[in-house]
Amino acid sequence: MDALQRRLGTLYAVPAVALLVLSFVAPLLVVAAFSTMPQGVFSLLHLPDFSAYGTLVTQGYWQSLLWSLFMAFAATVILFVISWPLAFGMAKVFKRFTLVLTIGVVLTLFVSENIRLFGWVLTLMKGGLIDGYLGAWFGGGLEGALYNVPVIIFGLVYVYFPFMLFPLAQGIAMVPDDARQAARDLGASRWQILTEIDLPLSAPGIVVGSLFTFVLATGALAEAKLLGGSAVIVMAAEVETAFTYGQDWPLGSALSMTLIAIVAVLAIFTIARIDLDSIMGRRG
Amino acid sequence: MNISRRTFTAGMGALGAASVLGGTRKAFAQRADELNILCWEGYNTDDVLGPFREMHPDATVRAESGTSDPDMINKLRAGEVNVWDLINLNQPWARQRLMPEGLIKPLDKERFMPFFERMAPEFSNPPYPLAFSDDDELIGMPQRYGPFSFVVNTDKISRETAENEGWNIFLDPAMQGRYGVLTYDNWNLIHLSITAGINPFQPMDDAAKEKFREVATQIMGGATLKSADLVAMNTALINGEIDAYFTGGTYTASPARLDGFSNIRGITPASGPIDGKGGVAWIELTSLVNNPDPSPLAADFLEFVQQPEICKAVGFAEGTYNPVAQMGDPDVRALWNEEELDAIQWDSLEEEMARSAEYAVVADYDELMGIYTQARRA
Repeated sequence: MDALQRRLGTLYAVPAVALLVLSFVAPLLVVAAFSTMPQGVFSLLHLPDFSAYGTLVTQGYWQSLLWSLFMAFAATVILFVISWPLAFGMAKVFKRFTLVLTIGVVLTLFVSENIRLFGWVLTLMKGGLIDGYLGAWFGGGLEGALYNVPVIIFGLVYVYFPFMLFPLAQGIAMVPDDARQAARDLGASRWQILTEIDLPLSAPGIVVGSLFTFVLATGALAEAKLLGGSAVIVMAAEVETAFTYGQDWPLGSALSMTLIAIVAVLAIFTIARIDLDSIMGRRG
Repeated sequence: MNISRRTFTAGMGALGAASVLGGTRKAFAQRADELNILCWEGYNTDDVLGPFREMHPDATVRAESGTSDPDMINKLRAGEVNVWDLINLNQPWARQRLMPEGLIKPLDKERFMPFFERMAPEFSNPPYPLAFSDDDELIGMPQRYGPFSFVVNTDKISRETAENEGWNIFLDPAMQGRYGVLTYDNWNLIHLSITAGINPFQPMDDAAKEKFREVATQIMGGATLKSADLVAMNTALINGEIDAYFTGGTYTASPARLDGFSNIRGITPASGPIDGKGGVAWIELTSLVNNPDPSPLAADFLEFVQQPEICKAVGFAEGTYNPVAQMGDPDVRALWNEEELDAIQWDSLEEEMARSAEYAVVADYDELMGIYTQARRA
């Protein structure tokens, strides 16, 4: 009877699995298939020749890839450092105020990313909000705050802040207060408590938050375009160009596949090292 | 009524099958109650669509604006040829991509040729040649157009200097860091070629390509700001961050000019490598999509937008302001007031168009695109 039940269970899962495969995996497979096509074709009815991957290597697209990865890494590290104290406060100190903070941060997500970034353009540009006030008060202005790499990283930090903050707060909430108190009783310093209790025990939250921000920031496009004035060209912009002005779908697909592969390897590698169940609160 | 899981599943299956069958049946009906337009901003405004909807109260008229020509073409290629009835984009893309690939179809000459007679001289006599395919089929109707080279702040660089120096102003070491590049990629290719003294519409030899690479690296590297956002470019020009931007024209300068910044001006160089011309002009065509289930309203709409008031609404839609070919007709031209004419640089339009070459497909597009994307990264 049990075996029958199990088989029925599998059977009932078929439609849902089919839907997932169709809507999630199939587009990826199409992109993968396109990436093997000869360059400049618009259908899959050609013999694969993988030439797009050759172009990717020979035409210096790795520079854009490195920029994307570097800026995503920098943004993730900065986000971790600035989110940690706040997340700690939310998990352990603020009590009711945590809700206010949560609502405040979540509300920003209700406004389109582009509009928020344009807000920063107006704030930071020459003759903008900050430059205008500085000029009026001190006579000196804020020259050249836009269109460079630091401002792109700032944009990434700003946009992906919630994606680090909440998993981190969740992770810190998992650290039992008893463990921290016990360590203190046994003579541990503040630094030791941080490095030997808080950080290791909240590792799942740190990993999830870092993964979220890193993966999203690697594929980010608007920050480099709006704030950065394309001071550097990011990978997502290369993909966009290849598909549109380049009219080279295979190249665009090959660029996408490379980015997907790198991010997937990183994600699988890190997720394999943490216990996701523990952060979802299903311990034991 | 009791619905068991089995009957529910059977019902869902039947529903699915019905929708598939329904789909095939629909393909044989004429879609007289629907019109879908894929266009550059302007045709999708209420000023244009509203009166047409009033004429066809039973029809659903929908228009969506694209963000680039190739983006719109990708939609048709990806199968949306079944969705759209009209597509409005710049003529080389229609001539060189859409028509050869069978994504658009010819217009009825008898119905549409008479409209050319009332257009501005460059479109009427002879009827605008690039609206026709090589086998002389009418592939689309021209309407909006404009010279498209570069834009300067005339308080910093005078119109005379800019026109006489032409593209060389961007190669001047003193301009390093004082200009932006409006990253309309396909336009950048054309303008970088001209800056390098090469005709982009002719195949290039290796020396020319090397020269192109040199100029592309210098121009892209010396730019303070690179963006596809024309408002960002105008803003930077107005607040003094830059003195000029590479790639631009009436289309991009007009919104700033209408806001009163008449020092923001599109420039057409006095001379250049394309048969002596140093500027380039764009002309849009609106074409019938080769929809297997066509809407008869598509051709009606094309005729409708030739009316004077609608011409004005198309030319003066939100966002950007552009001259229209139909302004050759005094009745149409009379609808623009002084400020509006100044915004589209009407005073110099004719001479600028005369100094501009027809925008065509860049001969070595793929290769130059590769060099350009590399230069952009440098």
